[in-house]
Amino acid sequence: MNLLINLKSLVVLDPLALFFLIVISLVSLPSLIYSIGYFKNKFTLTKFLSTQLVTLAFIVSMLLLVIVGNALAFLIVWELMTLLSYLLVLTDSEKEAAVGAASIYIIMTHIGTAFLTAAFFLIFRHSGSFDLAAMAAACQTMSPLLRNWLFIFFLIGFGTKAGIVPLHIWLPYAHPQAPSHISALMSGVMIKTALYGLIRFVFLVLGISSLWWGITVLTLAIISCLVGVIYALMEHDLKKLLAYHSVENIGIILLGLGLSMVFTRLNLNNLAALAMIAGLYHLINHAAFKGLLFLCAGSVQKGSGTLDMEKLGGLIKKMPWTAAFFLVGAMGISALPPLNGFVSEWLTLQAFFSGALKVPGMLALGFAVGIAALALTSGLAAACFVKAFGITFLALPRSQNAEQAKESPASMLLGMFLLALSVVGLGLLAPTIFNLLATVTAPICQASLQTSNIFSLGLQPNSTISPLFIAILLGSGFLAAIAAYGLLQGKTRLGRTWDCGYYQIGSRNEYTATAFSKPFRISFSLFLLPFRKTEKVKDSFYHVKSFVYETYTTKIFKKYLYDAGLGLLLHSAKRFKRVQAGSIHLYISYILATLVLLILLVKIL
Amino acid sequence: MMVITNQILWLALAIILAPLASGLITKVKNNLRLRQGQGILQPYRNLWKLFGKEEIVPANASWIFRVTPFVVFATSVAAVFFLSGDLLAIIFILALGRFFLALAALDAGSAFGGMGSSREMFISSFAEPAACLVIFAVYLTPGATWSLAHLLAGLALLIVILAETSRLPVDNQETHLELTMVHEAMLLDYSGPALALLELSAQIKQLFWLCLLVGTICPPVLLPYGFCLLGLIIVIAFIEVGIAKYRLFKVPDLLVFSVILALLAIVSALLGV
Amino acid sequence: MTWLLLFAILLITAETALVTRFPALLRNFRYQSLCLALLTLLAAYREGSIELYIIAGLLFSLKVLLIPHLFDVLIKRIGSSDHLGLFLNAQVSLLIVIVLGLISWYFASSVVAAPAYLQQLTLSAACFVMLTGIFLMVSRIKALAQVIGLLLTENGIFLAATVIPGGMPFFVEIALFFDILVSVMILGLFIYRINAIFTHIDVSKLSGLRG
Repeated sequence: MNLLINLKSLVVLDPLALFFLIVISLVSLPSLIYSIGYFKNKFTLTKFLSTQLVTLAFIVSMLLLVIVGNALAFLIVWELMTLLSYLLVLTDSEKEAAVGAASIYIIMTHIGTAFLTAAFFLIFRHSGSFDLAAMAAACQTMSPLLRNWLFIFFLIGFGTKAGIVPLHIWLPYAHPQAPSHISALMSGVMIKTALYGLIRFVFLVLGISSLWWGITVLTLAIISCLVGVIYALMEHDLKKLLAYHSVENIGIILLGLGLSMVFTRLNLNNLAALAMIAGLYHLINHAAFKGLLFLCAGSVQKGSGTLDMEKLGGLIKKMPWTAAFFLVGAMGISALPPLNGFVSEWLTLQAFFSGALKVPGMLALGFAVGIAALALTSGLAAACFVKAFGITFLALPRSQNAEQAKESPASMLLGMFLLALSVVGLGLLAPTIFNLLATVTAPICQASLQTSNIFSLGLQPNSTISPLFIAILLGSGFLAAIAAYGLLQGKTRLGRTWDCGYYQIGSRNEYTATAFSKPFRISFSLFLLPFRKTEKVKDSFYHVKSFVYETYTTKIFKKYLYDAGLGLLLHSAKRFKRVQAGSIHLYISYILATLVLLILLVKIL
Repeated sequence: MMVITNQILWLALAIILAPLASGLITKVKNNLRLRQGQGILQPYRNLWKLFGKEEIVPANASWIFRVTPFVVFATSVAAVFFLSGDLLAIIFILALGRFFLALAALDAGSAFGGMGSSREMFISSFAEPAACLVIFAVYLTPGATWSLAHLLAGLALLIVILAETSRLPVDNQETHLELTMVHEAMLLDYSGPALALLELSAQIKQLFWLCLLVGTICPPVLLPYGFCLLGLIIVIAFIEVGIAKYRLFKVPDLLVFSVILALLAIVSALLGV
Repeated sequence: MTWLLLFAILLITAETALVTRFPALLRNFRYQSLCLALLTLLAAYREGSIELYIIAGLLFSLKVLLIPHLFDVLIKRIGSSDHLGLFLNAQVSLLIVIVLGLISWYFASSVVAAPAYLQQLTLSAACFVMLTGIFLMVSRIKALAQVIGLLLTENGIFLAATVIPGGMPFFVEIALFFDILVSVMILGLFIYRINAIFTHIDVSKLSGLRG
């Protein structure tokens, strides 16, 4: 047997790895700057330093992960990354919720790791080496059945980390519990490393050998998009909401990657490259705006002491910078031009459009479903961020905490500013980024897509966009409107909000997050299974003294998939408990019985 | 240079003609109800009056409230500007305006604004897939020859237009009953020039949608463009007079129906019918 | 001579099933170890191997002298009653042990070919000692019996090793002896602690500790 680790090929620095290095650094640097202010007055110096050290180690482990060229080393670093992030989720370990969340996280990711390990060792049996190049060569000669299994293993293994539905349940627990810049790192970057693994091992090592792989990924992507965004709409905890959006965005990225798989299988190399560019573009975009949004959420938490949107409001006046940065992030994630989310979602749609004319009819119809799902997702995401920004930052404060909110220190603002800048930059510089991504995808898809025009992103006549031009156009429209307004304007004075002649409008009259999402709750009730609790306290028949109204949605994946599975496990464990009676004598007698049995069977064996 | 001059001329024309389309629809509707109704130039008079008035800004509101009219105006203009370009991009650009309008509605802190904001986002998130699918269907049927796919896609787009331009049965522009309005509820706290700007933007957006339907679906060879536009205005007026407002939770059904129409259009396009 | 010693081992082992008190059990273990040491000595004399002499010496000093002595001290220290506490009474135990003996004979005869009767007997004795050791751990209540059962099992393994041509490597044997010594010390400590905490060394009552 060869040495397990070949030093020469231990490091792989191809464009794909470089791209991920950039993505990781993009979020890590602002997060580290941000953490200085975030931990101030919160932790003792020792705890601060140790947390920073673990954070650094976590970042380094992610950086290492994308450059190792050896599956065994990959697995080790992967595990290291998981454990370090587990520690970081536990930073606030006094909170019981943090411990529970961390446990769910570590259990889920280890299920994933088990599948990955299995896949790696299956390939190892054929290749005799953990070297990626050798593994790739060995995969070419495998039986189709084995490759299918390997694909499924990789999908589950990386899917758990990435948070593909229905393996997403750890995200909404783990992300909100970690300190905000850690959430930014985990949601913005760490879950992306799973997608890196998917690209590295499915595209480059395994090789796409069946059409159904791509279709499966597309289907899961569509489900992830919709499930993620619908759950996010129902969520009123700012960080949980963001965590569910990660599920959605992973779905959008996977739409690109899945399409790329389909096109690769059909030998449509240019389209495969386009789809993968769309996916990778969204990947870096998501890192930027989700990182930014998590940092903003942390700032809100630090400033006002709560993340419950129903208790916030009016923060735009108390925390103007945080509000502005959050708005930029919200616009980015809602795919509003000319920011970055728009470019990548548009590219994904373009990939669907261009592919539809070249694939079999049934598949084109499937593409139509994908287009509809993506459009619905972006519409719902916009609704969700109108809620998130509007309820949190606008109108009147809904609680004492929100009223006394304070703007965060400069280091936190700087961290947010850097990410906000990248959200804008990734949008406006679209053609440049597109070309860079084309270099990344060129070796993977054997196709080179470069746009010669540095101002606009033209794929074919009639489908050309230039975010820069859109920005200029919108800007000039904006200025023209201001000019017209300034010319025609008479007087402006402050007045009261229209209150129907009511005494005085207050924060209790405002629309709440629950109310905002009610139409969605009702129209998706088949999936959300909402239920409510009401409690009336009456003085007399006519007068209601107090009224409590609570509404919940049923998390069907947790209830019908995980809880049911867990119930089955516990039930059978209870049955097995009888075997484990706690008596040492009994245990030794098991050994004795086994020995005797083995002796008796020695002839047969 | 020529192209840009043309575009700017077309833009100016669109801004000037946009209120006329609204006036025409109102006029036709009134005539259908056997009323004399206001003149077709009434929207211009309204705008003029509003532009001259004093503006009252709610004390609760922030800068979001102040910039929204300009953003919305800019997006409507940009939508018209890109009419001959990439249609998908326009959907996203319009979403920008809607995003800000919905935020501004929440900003004043009144319950009506929140209601309008929530409903607008609710309706539009269902309208967006339908619109994208219509564009997809049109994309799949190149060439000037008219086919079944065009008809189906046109019907689907018509439903989208009803939703996007806040017309019956989705929304009612003529009422100010707080509990049923959608678009109007969002504008409730605007006054004076800002309100004028928002109304004008809505009219420009409406003209954009009408032009989109005419330009992509209607048979341009058979009939002149203006004639088609006029026909469409009359059709919309007929629909508005003949139909009652849907319950809010029925609206997704309507829009899902539109999605299905668009899917059928795609099927027929793929089959080459 | 070898035959005699092997039969002595078999007899002593069978007799442990009847034993009900610690000192007697300890004595049995001592005699069994002594026989084992003598067997090794014989082998050493026959092969003229210095390593085997050393092993025999170690066996004698550890298992015949030191470990039983440690247990004697421990028993005195604990000062509780020296009954083993039987789950199964002596007669039933003897029956089961005989059955175990038959099983070991069956095993030995199926592993070693017919003419090598000495090996056959050695292997079956080894197996018998192992199984009896484990059986002792199962059927006796108090923790001390478990430790001695373990030691008996170890003796069985040692005996089995002599059957294998060439035996175990010297260093493995030495290491095993130290293992045994350390484990006996640790187990003794544990028993002492258990006794101190629970005021008894009744293992069957420890089941209350399970989750």
